Amino acid sequence: MEDMELDLTGRLMADMDPQLLEFLQSKVNSFVKWDLVNFFHDSPHTTDTAENIARYAGRGVETIRTELAELARDGVLEESRLGGMTVYSLASDPHVREMLDQFVKASDDRQFRVKAIYHIIRGMR
Amino acid sequence: MERVATGIPGLDEMLSGGFLPQTANLVEGAPGTGKTTLGMQFIYHGIAVCGEPGLILTFEEFPQQYYDGAAGFGWDFRQMEREGKLRIVMTSPEVSKVDLEQVGGRIEGLVQEIGAKRILVDSLSHFERLSGSPSELRAVVYGFVNALKREGLTAVLTRESMALLGEAEDTDEALAFLVDSYILLRYVEIESAVHKALLALKMRGSNHDNGIRQFDITSRGIEVRAPFEGREGIMSGSPRRMMDSFVQAFVRR
Repeated sequence: MEDMELDLTGRLMADMDPQLLEFLQSKVNSFVKWDLVNFFHDSPHTTDTAENIARYAGRGVETIRTELAELARDGVLEESRLGGMTVYSLASDPHVREMLDQFVKASDDRQFRVKAIYHIIRGMR
Repeated sequence: MERVATGIPGLDEMLSGGFLPQTANLVEGAPGTGKTTLGMQFIYHGIAVCGEPGLILTFEEFPQQYYDGAAGFGWDFRQMEREGKLRIVMTSPEVSKVDLEQVGGRIEGLVQEIGAKRILVDSLSHFERLSGSPSELRAVVYGFVNALKREGLTAVLTRESMALLGEAEDTDEALAFLVDSYILLRYVEIESAVHKALLALKMRGSNHDNGIRQFDITSRGIEVRAPFEGREGIMSGSPRRMMDSFVQAFVRR
């Protein structure tokens, strides 16, 4: 019975644009990453250190350091060295920027947010 | 002589037409006096009237705060960004300093991308966290200001003063020597009401009006009005009627 309910929820939640679902599952798979991509979407010309980005995002630096590195590994951000500092900026790839824009705009919709939260929690198990 | 007009009624007249091109211009004042508004108006006027794209370098406020603030005056900064005439860059002093020192850094890239002629740096006060030593801080700011000039930019640099009324506390005045012009914004108490005063304290290489002017922040931005008349001690925050001072000085009691 419980399995059937989970299956039904899963099917309901999977009703999402496949590209956005893939973006969510493969790149924005934590709430901290969601915060970070929102930040870079709203401030696309930012280049800064993990310490300063943590301050802008209102998070602890240790919380976001790994997430920034993973977003860079997955091509959403770019990681580079600047005068001995490791800095992050939004990837210049137009496809990534377009996906990010679509994702943030879709997040304005409550239904989308509920589904996105479901997928993130499911991915965390 | 060529001028870079701010578009602020009254201020351009005080500055004989505006700032000199490729100069660094410091605007200092307490919170809420209108430093950022003055800087945004300078950027807006450049884009909308003079065809000079601009950059806003912010060390604290999010781009959204500039969009919202500008919209309050009817300036559509978001649209200007879409048209490639404006870039709002949120970053930190340490990163922007190193970035500008490099050849082909990101800020240099943005200046070239949009052909920026103007920049608002909001605010210079954040550089103070880079060094506790005044001489080191001066060297850092000197390099930063020169990098902006190298890029051909005319800059408005804001700086916070913590004194709400009256004389500012003892800050590092050495920074004032590094800039080409120095504008002070102050709150002034007159007959139980708070007014705002503006003074162009210094303008290198040019004449300027050194009167203390009253200004208002209206729905169209900053408007600088006539000088305060019949009062003295304006910048102390608590001006006296000149007649009172005359009586104090000359009339025996």
